[in-house]
Amino acid sequence: MDFLKSIAIAASGLRAQAGRMRIISENIANADSTAASVGAEPYRRKMASFKTEMDRTLDAQIVALGRIKTDPSEFRVKHEPGHPAADQNGNVKYPNVNALVEMTDLREAQRSYEANINIIGASRRMIQRTIEILKS
Amino acid sequence: MATPSIAANAYASLAKLTDPSGLTKGAGEASGGQSFGALVKDAVNALSKTSQNSDMQTQAAAAGKANIVDVVTAVAESEVAIDALVSVRDKVISAYEEIMRMPI
Repeated sequence: MDFLKSIAIAASGLRAQAGRMRIISENIANADSTAASVGAEPYRRKMASFKTEMDRTLDAQIVALGRIKTDPSEFRVKHEPGHPAADQNGNVKYPNVNALVEMTDLREAQRSYEANINIIGASRRMIQRTIEILKS
Repeated sequence: MATPSIAANAYASLAKLTDPSGLTKGAGEASGGQSFGALVKDAVNALSKTSQNSDMQTQAAAAGKANIVDVVTAVAESEVAIDALVSVRDKVISAYEEIMRMPI
């Protein structure tokens, strides 16, 4: 039934956005994770990507979390001579995580999740309204 | 899912129940179509399958093994199947009662 299919497709969107949320939370949690040793790299920001997948049983294209890439941009450098991970000049590399970017990403994931939930709710209401015809 | 065909069959058997010529054929049983008993049996079998799936998903989620999204979709699917079957049953029974109330 098409309504059940649209619920399943929206559910794939929910799963994908949940995976994106996981990556965003990883980024935010590690925003201050410096390198374990001097000269090593700190945490590098991760980026989620989505890909279309053909679902044979549904006969529809669903969304799935694609490859998780790392952000190649520059690390933030702070001058902290007393830090255990500081180099000879007293500079410490901090992760290339920007809280503002992560917050906008988070909001986007949240809105997308809500949109998919609305699809599920609308489909469900339409099915139930149809079944209600039988009851009258 | 077999719900649309269940509903269609229910309509067919309803039509047979209310069709005066169908009464002479033994309430539609001998007219080549599916009997109401067989219809309900099929529907309940299909229903128990979807319900089992939703039960399995719920238990797995309670054990921390399943995604809550899978639970929601499985429960929604079985809810639709149960709702449709219950509505068809109520409708057929009300039609039967209507016939039983008929003054002869």
